[in-house]
Amino acid sequence: MEHNGFLQEQKTLEGDLNSDTSHKSSVDFLMNWFRKRSIFVLAYGTGCGAIEMPPTFTSRYDAERLGIRGAATPRQADVIIVSGYCSYKTLRRIIRTYEQMSNPKYLLALGSCTVNGGMYWDSYNTIKKLEDYLPVDMYVNGCMPRPESILEGFIALQKEIGEGKASSWQKYEENYEFYRKNQEAVLGEKVEPSYDADWYLYDGGL
Amino acid sequence: MENKHITIFHGPQHPGITGNMSVELDLIGETIQKATTHVGYLHRGFEKLIERRTVIQAFTIVCRICVPEPDPNEANFAMAVEELAGLEVTPRAQYIRVMVLELSRLAAQFLWMAGQSGSIGLYAVGQWAIADRDLILDLFEELTGARVYHMYIYPGGVRRDLPEGFLERVSTLLTYMKKRLKVYDDIFINNASFKSRAIGVGVISKEEAVANGYVGQVLRGCGIEADVRKDAPYLVYNELEFEVPTQTAGDVYARALVRRDEMDQSIHILEQVVAKMPEGEVMIKMPTHRKFKLPKDDTWVKVESARGEFAYYMAGDGSEKIRRMQVRGPSLVHAFTLLEDLLVGAELSDVALIMNSLGICPPEIER
Amino acid sequence: METMMFKQIKSHFATDDVEVKRNDLYKVGVRHERLFELIHMLRDEYDYKTLNAITCTDWIEEGHFALTYMLTTEDRKHTFMIQTMINREDAHIKSFSHEFKQAEIMERDLHEMYGIDFQGNKNLKELSLENWVHTPPLRREFDTLEFVNNNLTFREGRDDNIDTKVESKRLRALKKAEKEAAKKAKEAAAAETVKDEEVKDGK
Repeated sequence: MEHNGFLQEQKTLEGDLNSDTSHKSSVDFLMNWFRKRSIFVLAYGTGCGAIEMPPTFTSRYDAERLGIRGAATPRQADVIIVSGYCSYKTLRRIIRTYEQMSNPKYLLALGSCTVNGGMYWDSYNTIKKLEDYLPVDMYVNGCMPRPESILEGFIALQKEIGEGKASSWQKYEENYEFYRKNQEAVLGEKVEPSYDADWYLYDGGL
Repeated sequence: MENKHITIFHGPQHPGITGNMSVELDLIGETIQKATTHVGYLHRGFEKLIERRTVIQAFTIVCRICVPEPDPNEANFAMAVEELAGLEVTPRAQYIRVMVLELSRLAAQFLWMAGQSGSIGLYAVGQWAIADRDLILDLFEELTGARVYHMYIYPGGVRRDLPEGFLERVSTLLTYMKKRLKVYDDIFINNASFKSRAIGVGVISKEEAVANGYVGQVLRGCGIEADVRKDAPYLVYNELEFEVPTQTAGDVYARALVRRDEMDQSIHILEQVVAKMPEGEVMIKMPTHRKFKLPKDDTWVKVESARGEFAYYMAGDGSEKIRRMQVRGPSLVHAFTLLEDLLVGAELSDVALIMNSLGICPPEIER
Repeated sequence: METMMFKQIKSHFATDDVEVKRNDLYKVGVRHERLFELIHMLRDEYDYKTLNAITCTDWIEEGHFALTYMLTTEDRKHTFMIQTMINREDAHIKSFSHEFKQAEIMERDLHEMYGIDFQGNKNLKELSLENWVHTPPLRREFDTLEFVNNNLTFREGRDDNIDTKVESKRLRALKKAEKEAAKKAKEAAAAETVKDEEVKDGK
């Protein structure tokens, strides 16, 4: 493969994007095409891998040419990136954030810590297999993954969205008892964080 | 009107927070009455993991204690093991270690610039600063094989020698950086909107800074010339010539000026290191590099990282495993004693500004 | 000035000799009843104004915790490590949070990790752990691998995963056996040809 600068690089990145094969109707095709071209990533750096996210989203590796940009709150985001290991405290907040996001939503797991515990395989405060607690769409391995790997992960995710195969949010809703059982086994009966109080109970009520 | 009091969480999922931590704020309107810091979202139990590992096994995870700037951790670990085991490092390895530490400091200061300018809305500075930092990471990739977690400084020296022509590439980068930093002066340091937001905000007094154990640019912004490289020199810093910049105002702008001047000093040190690099071996000859017998003794070593004094306590017990290693990063006291004090009476929109200026990095607080 | 300070410490507090580790690092051990007096003396008479860290090492074989306080002079050129031993069971010591503001967070950290009670510290809440009901984790009797194996599950591994040390030993032994067999076969073949030639000659 000759190195011809930007054009060649763009072709290798986008080459797979237009080969969508399985879609049920042209409406489905259009919906998936729109969804994959505009991905909003939640601004949440949960672990070590968050240090390679600024280079991916700024001018050198430029994820915005693929339609990917940051979003500030869970209600506005499409993708949540779990960038590395999850301690119990973080897992509670990730579950709360994930359940706040509106469908369709996708989860990208970075690093080897989400696959099998990684470097912290014998730590008493991190979980070893993220799939037991939240449904994962795409794994990107590395410790930590380079910006080029993260971009490849996004391209693969976009291809799956285009073919209609990325449906982890449906998996979460259908198998909610399974996920909830695993979450409770690790976090206790009350999975929500303890500050979850209704705001109007302060100051004596409405 | 009732319901003026409100309690909100600033973090952990927040675009304006420096890492994965949170600050619980009690507000009346937009003025903060009380702030409580919460950490523990990144707790991995490092000190327990290291007790189960020998020196070479611990060396692979020690650099992950501080995510934005891993090299002071490796240097501290190597220096502590060398002190306990009684090893003496060759001059070439010491100069290479100084070069790695100063390049890492430059990269961390660029990351600070991106965070600080993003906290007030100057997002263009962030784009440029992260791209310039990537040029330093390219050098690291050539030298050590990885962009962020290097695993290069090992007890006894460094892992491998410099590649061909590496010093010329470092010099080219330094010439580029000297020209480029003047651009940052124009768009960030002398920017009128940064000055109007930063002057007079987050003021720390000199007496309280010394008594409460604050370190690093917090002390330098109050007028105290505090730098571990001058007070208790380690490696070959006593052979290199550099200054310690200070300001007297003690506010966010003073600390920003101090950090900007430190970047110039880092470039000055690197030029001297490139000119003076001695020949020789980079690793001392040992029968095996895999086993270190640590005597029943303890020690306390410290280096100057970009955010302040980083110290390690290490104790051995006569076996091959490390008995206890405690990490004392600069952010432990800054995030609790200092931040909860500074935020009382501040505005909600200044929280991100103050946190970035103190350089609070949560992974080293809870390890 | 150092020797005067060392003499005063040794005579007044009945300690061992002050150990000089580097030219900027000293260490002394003192009984925990006299700890406060020693730190006050260093702070008031000898300029050791800053408390940098409090660390703890668990010597389970000897039945005590070794608490170390790091004090630094105002010009940051000298550090003193003051070590004291407290009992492992029912560990408690008076808190420094009234005199050094930063001691509050350091003692909170040690309380959570070792279970030491710092009497007088009003803020001994949980810091890094949340709703932790087991033993304080940094104590030596807490086995982290056993905890992980009891409470968490790993991903199922590959079925053909083999231990590399065992496998490389086996391969080396195999290669050696093959070499021996080849050598023996060559020798046998050479002996055969010699025997054939002898028979031919003899004939």
